[in-house]
Amino acid sequence: MTAAQPDSIDDFVPSGLTQACRYVAWAIVATLFAFLLNVYLTFWLGWPGATAAFKDGAALAWLQLLLYELALAGPVVFVIKAKSRSLRRDSLTITAMAAYIVRAAFWMVLLVGLADALISFLRVEGLLQALVGEQLTQDLGRNKFRGPYVHMPLIVLSLIVAARSKTLGFTWLALLVVLAELLIVITRFVFSYEQAFMGDLVRFWYGGLFLFASAYTLLEDGHVRVDVLYSGFSERTKGMVNAGGALLLGIPLCWVVLAVGLGQRSSIITSPLLALEVTQAGFGMYVKYLLAAFLAIFAVSMMLQFAATALDGVADWRGDPGKRRTPSDNGHWAPGVE
Amino acid sequence: MELLFLLILVLLMASALGSGFPVAFALPGSAILTIGLAALSGYLFAGDVGAYFAQGGPVQWLTAGVTNFRGIYWEAERDTLIAIPLFVFMGIMLQRSKIAEDLLVTMAQLFGPIPGGLGISVVFVGALLAATTGIVGATVVAMGLISLPAMMRSNYSPSLATGTIAASGTLGQIIPPSIVLIILADQLASAVDQASTTRKALHKAATGELSMPSEFDIVSTSAGDMFMGAFVPGLVLVGLYMVFILVLALLRPGVAPPVSFEGRFDTRFAGRVLLILVPPLTLIFVVLGSIIAGVATVNQAGAIGAAGATIMAGYRLYEGRPGTYRPAMLAVGSIVALALLANIAPINVKSIHSGADVIALILASIAAAVFIAAVAWSFWRTFKIEDTLRGVMVETAKTTSLVFIILLGAAMLTAAFRAFGGEDLVREFLTGLPGGFWTQFVIVMAVIFFLGFFLDFIEIAVVVVPIVAPILLSDPSANVTAVWLGVMIGLNIQTSFLTPPFGFALFYLRGVAPAVIKTLQIYKGVVAFIGLQLLALVIVGNYPSLVNYLPARISLTSETAPPPINPKLQHCIEEMLFETYDARGGELRAAIAAARGLEFGYLPKQLRSALSDGLGKAEATFDRVAEVRRTGAALNAQADGFRPLHREVRAIQSDIAKIEAETKDLLTRISRIRDGDEKAVARRASLEAKLAELGAERDDLEAAIPADWARESKAFTELLTANSRSRALYRRNVDGAYEPIAEAVATIAGADRLAALGGELAGLSQVIADSPPAEAADRVREVARLIGGVESTRAIKSPLEKARRALKAKDPNSTLAAEQLEKALQAYDQDLAWRQRAMAELLPGLQAYEAAIRDTIGLRRQSRLPPKQALAVASCSSHHRDVSLSF
Repeated sequence: MTAAQPDSIDDFVPSGLTQACRYVAWAIVATLFAFLLNVYLTFWLGWPGATAAFKDGAALAWLQLLLYELALAGPVVFVIKAKSRSLRRDSLTITAMAAYIVRAAFWMVLLVGLADALISFLRVEGLLQALVGEQLTQDLGRNKFRGPYVHMPLIVLSLIVAARSKTLGFTWLALLVVLAELLIVITRFVFSYEQAFMGDLVRFWYGGLFLFASAYTLLEDGHVRVDVLYSGFSERTKGMVNAGGALLLGIPLCWVVLAVGLGQRSSIITSPLLALEVTQAGFGMYVKYLLAAFLAIFAVSMMLQFAATALDGVADWRGDPGKRRTPSDNGHWAPGVE
Repeated sequence: MELLFLLILVLLMASALGSGFPVAFALPGSAILTIGLAALSGYLFAGDVGAYFAQGGPVQWLTAGVTNFRGIYWEAERDTLIAIPLFVFMGIMLQRSKIAEDLLVTMAQLFGPIPGGLGISVVFVGALLAATTGIVGATVVAMGLISLPAMMRSNYSPSLATGTIAASGTLGQIIPPSIVLIILADQLASAVDQASTTRKALHKAATGELSMPSEFDIVSTSAGDMFMGAFVPGLVLVGLYMVFILVLALLRPGVAPPVSFEGRFDTRFAGRVLLILVPPLTLIFVVLGSIIAGVATVNQAGAIGAAGATIMAGYRLYEGRPGTYRPAMLAVGSIVALALLANIAPINVKSIHSGADVIALILASIAAAVFIAAVAWSFWRTFKIEDTLRGVMVETAKTTSLVFIILLGAAMLTAAFRAFGGEDLVREFLTGLPGGFWTQFVIVMAVIFFLGFFLDFIEIAVVVVPIVAPILLSDPSANVTAVWLGVMIGLNIQTSFLTPPFGFALFYLRGVAPAVIKTLQIYKGVVAFIGLQLLALVIVGNYPSLVNYLPARISLTSETAPPPINPKLQHCIEEMLFETYDARGGELRAAIAAARGLEFGYLPKQLRSALSDGLGKAEATFDRVAEVRRTGAALNAQADGFRPLHREVRAIQSDIAKIEAETKDLLTRISRIRDGDEKAVARRASLEAKLAELGAERDDLEAAIPADWARESKAFTELLTANSRSRALYRRNVDGAYEPIAEAVATIAGADRLAALGGELAGLSQVIADSPPAEAADRVREVARLIGGVESTRAIKSPLEKARRALKAKDPNSTLAAEQLEKALQAYDQDLAWRQRAMAELLPGLQAYEAAIRDTIGLRRQSRLPPKQALAVASCSSHHRDVSLSF
C-alpha cells in the first residue's frame, strides 16, 4: 500500500463502522463469486448443489456449501489484515473488477459477433463448403459444435484481451449498432439483400450496449434521479442515500435477477445456456444463448458496482477525502433525449 | 391483506424515489422488498408464502418481472426499441456538431424584424431541432446561451423569453423521431393485446357469439404509426406557440419588440440561410420521409439518421479548412447515383441474369463503396477532431442504458403491482366512475399531468401506460385507436418537462440563465405555454383525425395495404360507396343498361347465364343499398333511445359477473376446507355466510335490471341483425355482380392465346399415330397443360385427358386416343369461333362496362384500393366510431 498523501483516497481513519461496511461489501462480492462458481459446478459439472447438503449430505454438496462459508469468512480475514485500506480504495478495486467484467463482455460480443456473423453469412450463401470442406460445414451448422469450438475460444481470447487493455470498450457498441443497422440499410436498398443473421447481429450488440453500459452509468451518476429533494441534500445525506439505496434496493435486485435466472436447471438464463439455444429463424446467428448470459453479466457487474457505490456512499457520509467527481456535479447531466 | 402490501409498495416506492436514489433501481428495489416482506409475513402468520398475494406467489411474480425484462431484447416483437440508441446517436452527434448554434443565430437575424420575431425564431429552431437532435437538455441550454441574451438585449419580457425557450426546447418529445413515442408504441402494443382480449370476452358475453367480427377490434399501433400520428399534433403545438407570441407582440409591443437586423438581406445572406437550413431539413426529410413512404422501418431510418448526422458533423467540425465538404459531396453524389440506378435498373443480388444486371451490380457496388468511404471519412473526422466520436459513443451508451434500465425497473414494479391486485383495483375504480370513457380518460390524463410534476417522461410512460391503457382501449363506446391514445399521453407527458418543481427544461434553463432573471419569472413564463399544451391536448382530443389520418392513409396507400375485401374496411368503404351510388347512380345505371344491350346469344350457355346473372345483380345493387339504408335508419332511430338502458344494464351485468367470479372463488375455498376441528367449522360457517350475502346481492342486482330490458334488447338485437344481414346481402350481391364480368373478360381475351395453340393441338394426331404411346401421352399432357392455361377450356381439355389416359393404359389404345383427339379438335374449333367473334364484337363493350363499375360495384374484388378511394377511406376510418351497441 502506498503512503497516504493528504487529500488522497488512501487518507483514511478506520472505525468499527467502516470495517463493518468493508466486510459487508467484500462479503457480497465473495458470495457472488461463490454463487457463480456453484452454479457452474452444479449445472455444468453435475455436482449435487449446496442445498443438497441438508438432504442427503453428499460430500460434494458439503464442499459446495463450504464455498459459501469461505465467502463469508474470507472477507473477515481480509478486512482485519488490510485494516488501514480505505473505503475509497476498496471501492476502486471493486469498480475495477466490474470494469474488467464489462470489458471482457464487450470483447466477447465484438469477437463472437463478428466471427459468428461471418460464419452465418458464408453458410447461408453456401460458400462455407468451398472454404472449409463438407465435414466442418456440417459441424458449423450445429450449435453444439459452434458453441464450444468457435465461441468458447473467442470468449477465452476476450478474457485475455480485456486483462491487457485499459479502455472502457463497451461504448464502441453504440457505433457498432449504428454500423450494423447501416449495413442492413445499404444491402437492402442497394442490393435487395437481407438475411436473418444481420438483424441478429444488431440485436446482439444492442442488448450488450444497454446492459453493459449500466454499471458505468451508475459510476458516472448517469441514471435519472428524482432530485426534488436530493439536489438540496448535503454531501453527507447524499452519501447515506446512495449507500442505503445500493444495499437495500440495488443489491437485492441483482440477487433476484441471478436467483431467478440461474437458480435452477430450467431457469431463464441457465436453460438457454445449457442448451446453447439458437433463434428459430433458419440461418440466423447462433448466439441467442449468449443474449441470455447478458442478463447475468448485467446483474454481476451491477452487483459489484453497487457494492462499490455503497462504500463510496459511506465514505461521502464520513466526509473522507478523494471524492470522485461525476458529470452531475457540474450541473444536470442531460437525459430527456428525443 | 394484499391491499396493505399494495400500500406498503406505494409508500416504499414514493420514499425511495423521493430520497433521490436512481429511479431505475428505486422502482424494482421497492417492488422486491415488498414482495419479500409479503412472502415473509405470509410464511410467519399464515404458513404460506403466497397467502398475502392477490394471486400466485412471490417466486412466480419475481420470475414474471425478470422474464419481462429479458423480453425487452429477447423477443423479436420488441425490435422497435432498437431505434432508441440509433436516434440517440443521431441526436448527440448533431448536438456536438453545433447546428443548434448556427440555426439560432441565422434564424434570429431572419425573423428578428417582425413583431415577436426573435421568439418565433426560437420556436421555429426548436421545432427543427426537435425533428433532428431532439435532445431537450442540449436544446434548452443552447437557446438559453444564445437566444436568451439576445432577447434580453432587445427588451423582451424575461417571462416570455424564458417560457418560449423552455417550451420550444421540449418540442423534441412530441415531434418525431422521438424516444418517448417509441417507448409508448412498445408499451401500447401489449396493452392493445390485453384490451382486445377483454373486448372479445365482452362481445362473447353480450352476444353469445364465439368470435368477434374484426371490424370491432382495436386499431393497433407501431413506432412508425406513432411518429406519423404525432406529426400533425406537433405542428399544431408549434403553430400555437408562434401565434401566441405573435398575438402577444401585437397586443403588447413592449414584451416582444421587433429587432432590426444590422446586416443586409442580400444574396449572400440568403445563401447562408440556405446553407444552414438545407442540411437539417434534408435529414428530416430523409429520415421521416423514408418512414412515411413506408420504404424503411423505423430502425433503418434511425441508422440513416445516424449516418446523416455523422456526415453533417464531419463537415461542420472541419469548417474553415480546405476540403471541408468533400465527404459530404461524395456521400450526396453516391446517393444520387444509387437512386438513379435503382430507378433505371433495380438490382436484386439474388437474381443476376443478364449482362445489364452485371453492369448495374458493378456500378451499384462502386457507388455503395463510395458512400461507405464517405461515411467512414466522416466518422474518422469526428474521431480525430475534439474526440467528438468518443464523447458521442459514451453519451449514447449512458443514455440508452438509463432509458432501458428504467424499463427493467418498471417491469418489476408492474409485476409487484399486479401481484397485490393493484391493477384490479385501478380497473374497478375507473370502470366504477359514472360517465363512461370520457370521465375515465380525463381522470387518467389528470393523474399523468400531476405525476409530471415529480416524474420524468419515461417513468410515466412505462409505469402508468401498462396499467391504464388496456382499460381505456377496451371501451367499445369511445373505441379510440391506440395511436390516438399514445399521442394524447405523449402530449400530456411533455408538460412534465415544464412543470415545477421537477421540470428538466426549467433546470437546464436556470443553469444557464443570468442571475438577473428570477426563478419565479421562469416559472411564470412557462405557465402560458403549459396552458397552450393543454389547449393542444383539447384540440387533438376533439379532432382525433389529426392523429389518425396520416397513419391510416399511409397504411392504405402502402405496398402492403390491406385489400378492399378486408372486413375491417367494409364500414368505411360502404359509407363512401353509398354516396358515390347517389352521385353517379345515373351513370352506373346507364353503363349496366348498355351492357344489357350487348349481344351475347352466341356464347356458351354457362357463360351467357353467368353474364346475365351478373348484370341482374348489378341492377339490384341500388335496391340492396336502399335496404341497408332502411335497416340502418331503423337502427339509428332506436339507438339513441336504447343506449342509456343498454349502458345501465351492461353495468349491472358486469357487477353480477364480478359477484359470480367471487362466488366461484368462495366455493373453491370452501371445498378446500377439511372437516375436523372447530376452527375449520367456524371458517366454513363464515365463508358460507359470505356466500349467502353474495347471493342476496346478486339477486338484488338482477332485480334492478329494468323489466323492459328483455323486450327492448330483443327488439334492438333484431334491428342489429337485420342491418348486418342487409349489409351481408349487399356484399354478396356486388361480388356476384362483378366477378362474372371479370371472368368473362378474361375468358374472351384468351382467344388469341387459344388460337396460337391450334397448331400444337392439330399436330397431336401425327404424334399419336407415329410415336410410342408413352411419349405420345407425355406430349398430349403437355398440350393439355398449355390449353388449361387459358381460361374456361374444360371442353377441350377433358377429351385430351381421356386421350392421354387411353395412351397411358396398360394396354395402350391409339384408336381411342385419336377419337378423343378428334373431339377435342371439334371443341377447339367451336370454342375458338365464339371467342374470336366475342373478342371483336363483345369485348370492347364488356371492358368498358368493367371499367365503369370497377371502382364502385367491383371495388371489393380489387387487389388494392385505388388512391382516391384509399384517401376517402383513410379519412373515414380516422374518426372514432362508437360500436358499444354491438356489445
